[in-house]
Amino acid sequence: MNMSAAVTAPVAIRVHDLHKSFGPVEVLKGVSLEAREGEVISILGSSGSGKSTLLRCINMLEVPNSGTIEVAGEAIRLKTSSDGRSRPADQKQVDRIRSELGMVFQSFNLWSHKTVLENVIEAPVHVLKRPRVEAVEEAEALLAKVGIADKRNHYPSHLSGGQQQRAAIARALAMRPKAMLFDEPTSALDPELVGEVLRVMRGLAEEGRTMLVVTHEMGFARDVSSRVVFVHKGTIEEEGPPQEVFTRSKSERFRQFIKS
Amino acid sequence: MTEPGFLDIISFGADGWGAALAAGAWMTILIAIAGFAIGGLIGTFGAWAKISGGPVVRGCAEAYTTILRGIPDLLVIYLFYFGGSAVVTAVGQLFGAEGFVSLPGFIAGALAVGITSGAQQTEVYRGAFRAVHPGELEAATACGMGRLLKFRRITAPLTLRYALPGLGNVWQVVLKESALVSVTGVVELLRQAQIGAGSTSRPFDFFFIAAMIYLAISTVSGLILQVTERRFSRGVRRG
Amino acid sequence: MDIRFALETFWSLLAALPLTLELAATSIALGSILALGLALSRLSGILALDLFARTYVFLFRGTPLLVQIFLIYYGLSQFPAVRHSIFWPLLREPYWCAVLALMLNTAAYASEIIRGGLLSVPHGQVEAARACGMGRFMIFRRIVMPQALRQALPGYGNEMISMVKATSLASIITLMEITGVAAKLISESYRVIEVFVVAGVIYLAINFALTRLVAFAEHRLNPKLRAPLPISADLKGETH
Ligand SMILES: Nc1ncnc2c1ncn2[C@@H]1O[C@H](COP(=O)(O)OP(=O)(O)OP(=O)(O)O)[C@@H](O)[C@H]1O
Ligand SMILES: [Mg+2]
Repeated sequence: MNMSAAVTAPVAIRVHDLHKSFGPVEVLKGVSLEAREGEVISILGSSGSGKSTLLRCINMLEVPNSGTIEVAGEAIRLKTSSDGRSRPADQKQVDRIRSELGMVFQSFNLWSHKTVLENVIEAPVHVLKRPRVEAVEEAEALLAKVGIADKRNHYPSHLSGGQQQRAAIARALAMRPKAMLFDEPTSALDPELVGEVLRVMRGLAEEGRTMLVVTHEMGFARDVSSRVVFVHKGTIEEEGPPQEVFTRSKSERFRQFIKS
Repeated sequence: MTEPGFLDIISFGADGWGAALAAGAWMTILIAIAGFAIGGLIGTFGAWAKISGGPVVRGCAEAYTTILRGIPDLLVIYLFYFGGSAVVTAVGQLFGAEGFVSLPGFIAGALAVGITSGAQQTEVYRGAFRAVHPGELEAATACGMGRLLKFRRITAPLTLRYALPGLGNVWQVVLKESALVSVTGVVELLRQAQIGAGSTSRPFDFFFIAAMIYLAISTVSGLILQVTERRFSRGVRRG
Repeated sequence: MDIRFALETFWSLLAALPLTLELAATSIALGSILALGLALSRLSGILALDLFARTYVFLFRGTPLLVQIFLIYYGLSQFPAVRHSIFWPLLREPYWCAVLALMLNTAAYASEIIRGGLLSVPHGQVEAARACGMGRFMIFRRIVMPQALRQALPGYGNEMISMVKATSLASIITLMEITGVAAKLISESYRVIEVFVVAGVIYLAINFALTRLVAFAEHRLNPKLRAPLPISADLKGETH
């Protein structure tokens, strides 16, 4: 028996039978996914297939119509309001679970009125109520780790895209998240800046962090992730370790997708 | 005299105030048009001064807009009403007239409104001129157009297109500002409402109706401006 | 120009300055609260609130301020219910009527300025805050409001200048602020130019000071205008 450690590790995120519609359009049609601690899952798929929507449902930036989401064994409670739409039953719970997940966006979304350091300590100090001194110390270590310690007092508009994205990663890490969600973190970057962000993400993967990464970077998916998930038209079409799916996928569509 | 009801106020019958209010509204429109037109003349001149005047001319235009932006319109109306009357009186005395002659409120009011709106229109025209593509003006020169011909056929129409939205705003301001001219005793809409309010015990009704008439004038003229704008801005790049 | 008369005029008008400033400050301060409420109503997504705010802005921006002042000062007394209400002692005072009208009026204009500021904050930054587990109120206070304020400040500065100018209308309902005193001096002395120049200079001075104040606040609030903060040893020591 050659069972990898990941299979026996506890489940960090469990998504079961997730459905999500925008108006009449069903974007997710029953998606189930499990991420164990320490796993790095690359989510691939063509534009409009529902990758972002899946990721955004996990931290409730989009509220699914049905299905369950568990983070570290705790299910997010949903209710159906009088107008038939589903919404979180307990906003406090959602806020708490969000603070346990770090999210990195395609467009960085740094707060432009705060310096890099202020961006990083904002949520630890005001959401987690950590002492400021401690938060600053940790933030500085994180900024050093992503390689922009010298930019700590700059405002986001003074940074390059790659530096902004690394600052955003540091901001997410500062919450000491149980898992990290990345939504195309390198898609908005100039080609020469992609490498510096991927390097940081590779480092995080090697640390054993749980990561869900929506990406178009095939190299990253192949070399870094422990599992690849291919989303097509709102369902998971193919799933497995990269060595397997990249060499002998049963899905004609996936083979087509990686060829293009 | 019996107290009029709300309907009597707006009725056009013998006891109604409808005709008087309509005449007041007409006077309001006349003041606004006169003020806006005077402001248009000043604004054209002011914009020209700011764009292509020498340092002295430009400085004067700059001072004019800065001052008018900083002092209350009511003060300007007082200046023209009392100041104008003083001038008229002095001239009258030269010709042997006796005592105080006051400048008609309509003239003083239109001039005052014109001067304030001229400052706003200066900025509107200047901004619009900046939006005109310099190449189009150069092309006119290259065609051998003289200065005046170029201004009349090319520069003015192009600038006007870009100025229309800003001019619409200025018109709305002028319309509301015309209410201040009531202090000179011109019987425009607000003054007429005051007269009605004073001779009955229904001040609210009168001022409310006046407010609604102002609203109607501004809404209707706003719609007209919108249509005009759409007609004149064919081919204009939308930012 | 008669310097001695101008100087006398200057002192008389200066005595009226506090009333002008008080009218402007009170109505701007109260109006800003109402304006924020209106702007939030517009953005609330609740149809009734949105409709109310839209109608409010339409009515107050579509009619002259002087009509609004007359409606409140002369108009309200038409209703016995108002005359017998507890607000009557305030509503028959020209001062409070002027403040009320100015405040209601500026709120309409300012609400549009604030709404523009609120809309200017990129939605992604709000999502990032949500993803960090911040609650609605905290997001508004720490992420949206500071940036909206910065964005709205220049426009709000212009609105404040308009308000300073608008206080002159209070003279029409007998308040002796600067324009009221100026009109009285003109009708007593017939020296229009002198009084006008002196009053004009005072208004220009107020508005110049206001412009500088807003520019200063804008500079303080705008990180984009500032150079990157220096990383100095003592600054580092301070945070540890
Ligand atoms: N807020 C929304 N309202 C309406 N439709 C939406 C919304 N968000 C996403 N959609 C639609 O849902 C579908 C899936 O969107 P999603 O963003 O999840 O795709 P994606 O796989 O992330 O694509 P991409 O690679 O372009 O980011 C798309 O057709 C999109 O137009
Ligand atoms: Mg996406």
